[in-house]
Amino acid sequence: MRVVIAEDAALLREGLTRLLQDRGHSVCAAVDDGDGLLAAVAEHKPDVAVVDIRMPPTHTDEGLRAALELRRRFPATGVLVFSQYVETSYSAQLLEGGAAGVGYLLKDRVANVAEFTAALERVASGGTALDPEVVSQLFRASRRRGGLSTLTPRERQVLALMAEGRSNAGIAAELVVSGGAVEKHVASIFAKLGLPPGESDNRRVLAVLRYLGG
Amino acid sequence: MDEDIRRVAGTILGAPLTRRTVRELLYCGVGGLAGVAGFLITVVMLVLGLTISASVLGTVVGLLLLTLALRVSRRLGALHRRLARWLLGYQVEAPPKFQPGIGILARLDKRLRDRAAWRSVAYSLIKLPTSAVQLYAATAACIGLVDLSYPEVWLLFRHHNASQLNPLVAPTPLPFGGDIKIYSWPGTIPAALLGAVCVLIATWLARAINAGDRRLIRGLLGPSSMAERVSELERTRSLAVEDSAAALRRVERDLHDGAQMRLAALAMNLGMAREKLGDDDEQASRVSDNTATVRELLDAAHRNATDALADLRDLARGIHPPVLDSGLASALASLAASSAIPASVTAEIDPRPAPAIETIAYFCAAELMANATKHSYANQIKINIFTERSGLLRLEVTDDGIGGADAVRGSGLAGLTQRVSTVDGRIHVSSPPGGPTTVTVELPLRA
Repeated sequence: MRVVIAEDAALLREGLTRLLQDRGHSVCAAVDDGDGLLAAVAEHKPDVAVVDIRMPPTHTDEGLRAALELRRRFPATGVLVFSQYVETSYSAQLLEGGAAGVGYLLKDRVANVAEFTAALERVASGGTALDPEVVSQLFRASRRRGGLSTLTPRERQVLALMAEGRSNAGIAAELVVSGGAVEKHVASIFAKLGLPPGESDNRRVLAVLRYLGG
Repeated sequence: MDEDIRRVAGTILGAPLTRRTVRELLYCGVGGLAGVAGFLITVVMLVLGLTISASVLGTVVGLLLLTLALRVSRRLGALHRRLARWLLGYQVEAPPKFQPGIGILARLDKRLRDRAAWRSVAYSLIKLPTSAVQLYAATAACIGLVDLSYPEVWLLFRHHNASQLNPLVAPTPLPFGGDIKIYSWPGTIPAALLGAVCVLIATWLARAINAGDRRLIRGLLGPSSMAERVSELERTRSLAVEDSAAALRRVERDLHDGAQMRLAALAMNLGMAREKLGDDDEQASRVSDNTATVRELLDAAHRNATDALADLRDLARGIHPPVLDSGLASALASLAASSAIPASVTAEIDPRPAPAIETIAYFCAAELMANATKHSYANQIKINIFTERSGLLRLEVTDDGIGGADAVRGSGLAGLTQRVSTVDGRIHVSSPPGGPTTVTVELPLRA
């Protein structure tokens, strides 16, 4: 997997580079601002770009805007945005153009190497990776209390993991159950909530998110 | 010594030729006339007002006339200040603007107690003798100039028929002694000399009386020392509030760039180290106890780092949420999104308030929502924030819960009231038992 990293804190930038290289991925470029990111992606055409939201010059949301620009100009490159905070408006903006190849993670997740790289790989291959914190905020803010209350606790867990963008296999690994059990849960959820079944993983994410958004 | 004498003499004699003199004399003329007119107007209105209000029947009319006199007097004061600024270059700030009361009696009372207006009246009265001197100086200057011109006038208009015409009369500024009559050209010389002396004296007289006038203006038409102190306090308070808000933003930025970043890097390194050790239990039984211990220690360190990161994140958000930089609307939307009780936000904020005000509004909303979540058993919270036409920012947080909130007893609300009052804002609580509860926060747009 070929990756471009955009992060203005040198310590983190080097740490991420090392982490990814250790796992056999290739870091084409590591830049520290939005313009550098766009140039690097244009030059190297990586599979995925890892982008910090707060970057110079204003340290507000340069990274987010660069990420949106990347999605427009290089739709083949996945974008994984990460930040120290979860802001639901940011995730909404990122998902506007669809959920394929989009990720939004908390920097805390980087501490868990396996999860982080799994999320990155998901995004690079066109899937979705939303931070569990984002998903739980969505659940809390959702007005679909009635619909959600018809689900069993296990089904809610599965729904949350689906919203994060995981595949059935990923959900099965996370909950330590069989793939068949997951499929059954998924079917039941879709039936109860009235969502169209049989979708690919990305469209599934969008369907779930749209449902939660009310 | 000689040098000094010559320099002083030069200043004295050369004064009439400066631009400053022209302006001062102009001020004497214009200001003097304005002063006389102002005096007359003021006195007439005051006397009328006082005498009419003294009679039983005309009390109301008389009082109204008095208030009219005071208002006019304020305007006159403004006129004199403007003249002084324009012609003398003397800048005096206006006293604080008049704040009318509400209700007829209150308005009357406030008008009659308007200290700035009474001080203007005092100025107008004292201006009469001042104006007299000023007008005299201006007139003397004019006469002096006329006299100075006589030699040339004689030469231009009278050189051919000297003896047949009536004598030329040169005016003098003295109230006594009459005028000088001139019969021949050499006779114009004394007139010219007199003119020069007049101009010189007028110049210095004007300067003296204007200096006195300046002091009067400063004392009677400027803001009183109390008003000056108040506006100084307001200015410094605003600076202090903005300063502390900026300091908090810096702290949050430093936390983000410093401690949080290092912790994230630490957690990442720990994670990588942990991975390198592997977690294959079969292997564990084959390798030494040390590896297992190291693995456990790393796990613990990793957990600690992650927890510390989470703590710092909450702390930083409590100091200054970064989303506030994008504006109150987005910040409140975030707040609503992470609320346990479903919350909706409607926002119409234009223009954007000062950062310190945005911070206060955000934390008010956060505290109010936390209160609602803890105590109200509500199903729905509505947040409404908009800018009123009067230039106030209004934040309303409404919940459909059980009500009974109290601004005095609830310590959270009391703290908010204090914070809001540092910028002259206000909080209204409407919370009848049974609900619904609406708390309204009013804030100015600038601290």
